[in-house]
Amino acid sequence: MSNRESDRADTLQGTLDIMVPQTVATVGPVHGYSIAARLEQVANGAIHLNMGTVYPGLMRLEQRGLIHGKWRVTENNRKARFYAFTAAGHRQLATAREYWERTASIMYSLLNEVP
Amino acid sequence: MTPREWASRLWATFRPTRSDRDLEDELRAHLELAADEERRCRTPEGSAERSARLRVGGVAQAMEAQRDQRGLTWLENFARDVRFACRTLRKAPGFTAVAVLTLALGIGANSAMFSVINAVLLRPLPFPSPERLVAVASIDLRATAGPSGSASWPDFFDWRSSARTFEHLSAYRETGFTLVDGGRASHVPGAVVTSDLLSTLGVKPALGRDFRGDEERAGADVALISDSIWRSQFAAAPDIVGRAVTLNSRRFTIVGVMPPAFHFPVSVPAAQIWITSAEDARVDNPADSPMTAERGAHFIKVIGRLRATASVASAQAELEVIAAGLARAHPDDSGNRSVRAVSELGRLVGDTRQPLFVLLAAVGCVLLIACVNLANLLLARGAGRGREMALRTALGASGRRIVLQLLTESLVLAALGTGCGLALAYGSTAALVRLAPVTVRGLDQVMIDGVVIAFTAVMGGASALCFGLIPAFQTSRTDSAIGGAASARTTQGRGQRRLRGALVIAEMAIGVVLLLGAGLLLRSFDRLLRTPPGFEAQHLVTATFRLPDSRYSYLKQIVFYENVLADLRALPGVDSAAAAAPLPLSGSRYSISFQQSGVERPQSERLSADFGMVSPGYFRTLQVPLVRGREFSATDSDAAPRVVIVNERFARQYFGDVDPLGQRIKPGLSTTEKETPWREIVGVVGDIRHQRLSEESRPAYFVPYAQGLISPLSLVVRTNNTNGMVEDIRKTLARKDPELALYDVKTMEEYLATSVATPRFQTLLLALFATVGLALTAVGLYGVMAYGVAQRTREFGIRLALGARPGEVLGLVLRGALTLISTGLIMGMVAGALATRMLASTLYSIDPLDPATFAGVATILTAVALVASYVPARRAIRVDPIAALRSE
Repeated sequence: MSNRESDRADTLQGTLDIMVPQTVATVGPVHGYSIAARLEQVANGAIHLNMGTVYPGLMRLEQRGLIHGKWRVTENNRKARFYAFTAAGHRQLATAREYWERTASIMYSLLNEVP
Repeated sequence: MTPREWASRLWATFRPTRSDRDLEDELRAHLELAADEERRCRTPEGSAERSARLRVGGVAQAMEAQRDQRGLTWLENFARDVRFACRTLRKAPGFTAVAVLTLALGIGANSAMFSVINAVLLRPLPFPSPERLVAVASIDLRATAGPSGSASWPDFFDWRSSARTFEHLSAYRETGFTLVDGGRASHVPGAVVTSDLLSTLGVKPALGRDFRGDEERAGADVALISDSIWRSQFAAAPDIVGRAVTLNSRRFTIVGVMPPAFHFPVSVPAAQIWITSAEDARVDNPADSPMTAERGAHFIKVIGRLRATASVASAQAELEVIAAGLARAHPDDSGNRSVRAVSELGRLVGDTRQPLFVLLAAVGCVLLIACVNLANLLLARGAGRGREMALRTALGASGRRIVLQLLTESLVLAALGTGCGLALAYGSTAALVRLAPVTVRGLDQVMIDGVVIAFTAVMGGASALCFGLIPAFQTSRTDSAIGGAASARTTQGRGQRRLRGALVIAEMAIGVVLLLGAGLLLRSFDRLLRTPPGFEAQHLVTATFRLPDSRYSYLKQIVFYENVLADLRALPGVDSAAAAAPLPLSGSRYSISFQQSGVERPQSERLSADFGMVSPGYFRTLQVPLVRGREFSATDSDAAPRVVIVNERFARQYFGDVDPLGQRIKPGLSTTEKETPWREIVGVVGDIRHQRLSEESRPAYFVPYAQGLISPLSLVVRTNNTNGMVEDIRKTLARKDPELALYDVKTMEEYLATSVATPRFQTLLLALFATVGLALTAVGLYGVMAYGVAQRTREFGIRLALGARPGEVLGLVLRGALTLISTGLIMGMVAGALATRMLASTLYSIDPLDPATFAGVATILTAVALVASYVPARRAIRVDPIAALRSE
């Protein structure tokens, strides 16, 4: 892996734990492929998520008890593991959102300060 | 990592929540969904899968990442290493057995020793918030000896009414009761206590009630009894509260029964009956003053419970102020006195701390020797595993992984050793308790509990690092270039040989220190046993009984003793019989101040000496030499002129060259006299070691019991039939008064044995540890020599083939051994000279640098070491040159 790529993966590491739950919150129970596709679409191709990033991330969230996965059938009749929120996941997302909004607004003000 | 994630991964390490299959299915589904999309959008059929895989990555890598996330990789590695180590060790049963046995000895000894320290020093007292319990004692500022730990009643009352740092302050003294029940008299140990003792300790009676404050006043005859006596004497009667019991011929009302585990005062035998200080406020004769008014009589102990906000130091500061006030108010009795507060646990532990730490240091040395042995074994083993290491390195194992694998092997060995060591310690605690002196608190409750197991586990882990680290790094460093066939032929490198030599030297040095300590203690103990106590202890039976004041007036008591002694002397087999108090080596000591005729001193400056009251014939019975003058006789009665006998030390110290006979002294002691009488010295007797064998006798004086009976006397009978005599004494006494109970029935030799029980315990253990240490050292040296010879078989073969004589080869090997031995010996001697200073306070009449001990240890160790190296050296000259060369 080149330096540039590993930089990108590291940036992702922290934000993925917010982006994935947020996606689950927006579209309801959803499988891994759909999450990755949606995030790539929202980012307009600025991020690229391969399986080695998505699935350990999902597993980590599941181990923390924030989401829960279940095998179901997609509309195209394919089997996939769908992830939904647990109660703790809802609470965690609210806290994380608040934190990110505050951080983002601070960063925004700071970066747009007139010298 | 959140705790929840941690737990989930820990669980998944041993019991995967999602199988690899499940994970893979999910990834395949992902790939198919991606391919579906590719097809739908643009890609021509056939290459959709390929471009999907390019976009979302490979299944194998994603699986690896998921497995890392699923469990704890390091733990999985560790578990794998443990399994591998177990397999490896099973394949080398000889090595494993030696290693585990060595460790079990080292760790077991530590575990057993720590269980003793835990019981004696660490385990808290069995009361709520025990750290707030404080012992308070009055101290004599002029005293050269240590504090006696006692106080007087009036001092205590003043402390109690003024001190603010204590929630409760209580006093107690141990005593014994004659309990008469259905015509049968028995002696029961007990205590006189203030009414709030139980509140101080934080304990409540299991049945009935605690003492009330007004029950400290004379006339309140109430008692609390122990659970065991409630069951044994009163058949656990549920209506026990309110019943009467006869103690010392007086009736007491039982107000409560204590819980079964209650044990206070902490002494052996345990108190069974508690009565209030009303006992000491009482007088039989209205003209007397009660003991609670005697400010100069220091015979009670004081214990307090600190307020939560107070500390021992703040209590000490406050008490000092109070004591200074008392010294001003009562200059005669308290002029030179102050007060000392120490934690109750500290008081009980007393001077047992130092000998225990010496023993712990000794077992620490044993474990160190065991570890050095193991390190050597592992180094030797590692040198033979060069091929395996090279292979593993070639297959891609990092140096770190190999070190970890080898360390895991050490850890498995340590775990096995710890397990066996714990079993060994568990088996030896019973023996330890049997050997231990009963007077040390907690020694009767030595056991392997959670604390000891935790300590042992930590010891085991530390040992694993201690003996495993260096060999692990050494072994892992094996150069892969010399791997393969070559490694089988390489001899050990020079660095390795040096390292192993250094380890043997260290082991020898530690062994020397251990042996020096044990040797010094053994010689000291031997001298102690050879110390004449000043009397002939064989063939003496002693026993005590208490005459109740309520039925026996002072004069009646004197007559009673006289008659009992006359009856005893008439018994067959009795050479002589006498009575006295206190008995030598019995643990009690009376000290009473005196004035010397012609030497004027203010009362607070008065001299004090040991005091005893004895019957006629006492010194003859004990075979204490009469140096000058005469012994007491029947004519020294209450009506006769007051006389006194002093010991040689007293005569020397206070009369110097002047003949003490005919001189007069006035002890602060009076009984039937109106005024404290002067007493004429009529005899001088030899010195007796009264307190313990290791303590020089102090100045002492003795009065005829008829002229100064102040406590129950003990009978002393010299007979050639010590076994049958006890029953004879019992019968004689029962004929005179069936309501008297005989107690402390012991031979003088038993007192002697008890007095040396603590040094015997310490000496025995240290000697045992040193023996184990010596054996391990010998095994270690043997191992190194044997390995060295085996490694050099080829060299010896060539030397012999080229014409070297066997004697020369033998000399070559032994010279190498001697270099190691002498270096270790010298280093050990130097370290020993520094370490044995720790023992100085424990040693009796022997210098910590005793040349004979040092020489003896050097001889023993050199001899053992030479034997240990000679056996492998012999093997060197038996090498068959042809065979050695052919193995090329």
